Amino acid sequence: MKSVYIAGAGMTRFGRSEWPLMQLASVASLAALKHANLGGVPVDGVVVANMGAARINRQTALGSALVDQLALYPAAAESVENGPASGASAVKVGFQAIASGMADVVLVTGVERMRVVNGMEGTDFVASLSHPIAEYIYGVTLPSLAGLFARLFMEKHGVERKHLAMVAIKNHANAAKNPYAHIQQTITMEGILTLPEAVVNNPPIAEPLHMFDCCPVSDGAASLVLVSQEVAAKLKGPKVRLAGMGQATDTHTVHERKDPTDLKSVRIAAEQAFRRAGLKPEDVDVAELHDAFTILEIAESEASGFFPRGEGHKALERGDTQLGGRLPINPSGGLKAKGHPVGATGVAQLVELTWQLRGECGERQVKDAKIAYACNFGGFGNNVVASVLQREA
Amino acid sequence: MSMKVTGMKCSSCGTVSYPTHAVCPSCRNETFETVVIEGEGKVLTYTDVYALAVEYETRYLRLAIVELDDGVRVTGHLLADKPKLGMRVKTTIGTVREMAEGAIQGLQFVAV
Amino acid sequence: MGNISDLEALLRPPAMEMPDYPPKAITLASGEVMVVRQVAREEVPTLLEAIYPLLLVERDFYDVVGARLFGELLAYKRFRVKDEYVLAGLIDGVLAGMVNGRLVNEKTGMSYHTLTIRRGLRVGSHLFAAKMEYHIEHCQQEEVLIVAESPIGFRRWMIEYPLEKRFEVQHELGGVPSWVLPKDTYYAAKPRLVSGRRPISEELMKSAQTILLPRQETVVRQVAGEKEG
Repeated sequence: MKSVYIAGAGMTRFGRSEWPLMQLASVASLAALKHANLGGVPVDGVVVANMGAARINRQTALGSALVDQLALYPAAAESVENGPASGASAVKVGFQAIASGMADVVLVTGVERMRVVNGMEGTDFVASLSHPIAEYIYGVTLPSLAGLFARLFMEKHGVERKHLAMVAIKNHANAAKNPYAHIQQTITMEGILTLPEAVVNNPPIAEPLHMFDCCPVSDGAASLVLVSQEVAAKLKGPKVRLAGMGQATDTHTVHERKDPTDLKSVRIAAEQAFRRAGLKPEDVDVAELHDAFTILEIAESEASGFFPRGEGHKALERGDTQLGGRLPINPSGGLKAKGHPVGATGVAQLVELTWQLRGECGERQVKDAKIAYACNFGGFGNNVVASVLQREA
Repeated sequence: MSMKVTGMKCSSCGTVSYPTHAVCPSCRNETFETVVIEGEGKVLTYTDVYALAVEYETRYLRLAIVELDDGVRVTGHLLADKPKLGMRVKTTIGTVREMAEGAIQGLQFVAV
Repeated sequence: MGNISDLEALLRPPAMEMPDYPPKAITLASGEVMVVRQVAREEVPTLLEAIYPLLLVERDFYDVVGARLFGELLAYKRFRVKDEYVLAGLIDGVLAGMVNGRLVNEKTGMSYHTLTIRRGLRVGSHLFAAKMEYHIEHCQQEEVLIVAESPIGFRRWMIEYPLEKRFEVQHELGGVPSWVLPKDTYYAAKPRLVSGRRPISEELMKSAQTILLPRQETVVRQVAGEKEG
């Protein structure tokens, strides 16, 4: 397999956007291409990640549409729909194209524009990834799966609502340092949990999860330029290698998993990614985890191999995962506060990590970060893509 | 109520799966007999969910995963005022969603 | 002179005795304290200034809400609505949102509008709750008539409280079949929807004495929740 490098990374601000779908995708793509500064090297392929455009924006074949917007013909083009893991899946498609020698430069762009529909419709659209007969017809939504998971996980490991609140407070604080983040608002333990007003400030969404445990619904796009070693050698700027990727699936329904609190797909995907990168979880300096719900940051931090099972919340309590801690998690604000335009999320995680490894993150920069890890969690854990990035001198 | 929720029993290894798969997840056999999913069990986990699709005109739904006594697990509506982890319940069938094509019947759990 | 006064007296609707809304303080998720207090007639121009940029924002019916609220506030200021009141939420004096309504008679109140300027902190929920609190607890009314222009906002109140149908009554906002919040439902919902502390300190009240506006160019973006990319 040939080595794959990330030469450029760009994104739009996440939030509610008036821009049409393809404008979001184009703006992020152009930012990434500019960041890569390819000179005359042509783009061989374009991969677009998206989950809902066919239903929400009535547009399909987004890969072809983006090639056209950017006038990159005759570059190869694909669209990837893989639920909330679409983003990292698209990166994997680009990775494979370069690793196999079929391409030298691939533009990977994730985009979602879901604020055009109301919240209930948006929730229902994402819920369509659940099992149609055994889950969806019961009114199962992603928050409800997270609530079922959280109740069991918290009971088993002694995690309390205050731990979930700590994740939210940390990620809101990080997002306030990220100009691309959807939510630019710090929150307090008093305001969301301990004062009487917190009952109104932070209403239940899927108990034990409350409003500030859940990510917002966002529009946005994120983009990476992947290149071969030959191309990377010609470019100026720091070298960030996409050192290893892994992917694993699990049962469609959550109830069919022997231990529903065991994120087996995360574990396997992470093991693969680390093995392929020749690195270990202990080597990681900064991580972006898929905290669509606060409980998932804790659970994924364990399943990815950073902390022993049942001890993610203790690491959080110790401050290990804060900026300045032993392993900062979600310096971007995570899905929780940076926002979650579904198809863009997996790409955006790697955009943040690329910037982190290049030392371009300003106030939220993790000092001397050399090795980074991302977990893009699809379905409710039935399809997970993990990535390990490494800064080379 | 004539409607039943069904799963499959592998004709080779006897594993009961719900929902159905084209291939037995335990032994990869491809022939099955249909079995009715019902009976008593215990609540494995539950949630009151307020983030609902538009057709629910209720403040929240109480969903649960129940482990039936034969080991099969199911997701459905928990009709219990004071839910608790591990509480004993039995299955019944009722309307679980009103969709454009009509009322959908499915599993509900009531305390025993 | 006397004639003008007589005419003016004729044009002004007769007024009922209305209790003051005692100001309260709510600590928001951000830790910031929002003072909810009554808005006097002479403060109306400041609120109008906040609403003005929304008058042509079609999204989520901000144009309809904005224009109607604009008119209601003007009419309140110039005595052309019977028994109207206006409450505002202020954070460090800066306007975070406003609600208004009126008393139909001693027993029945009517909710007009809820407009949130500061988003993401449940300001709208707090202010709507304060409005219900005013009708039921302070004006001692039996029920409040409610509709909303925006389907989402309305569905939220309807389900959160929940409201009952009173479709035989046409609401003053466009003659739309009305919904109603009865007193008992209000008290049942109160623990999870109504909050705040009284009395509030002199210092806090002082901070909320003058209504300040957020930066004008950010109002539309904040209210409609829009970002350019």
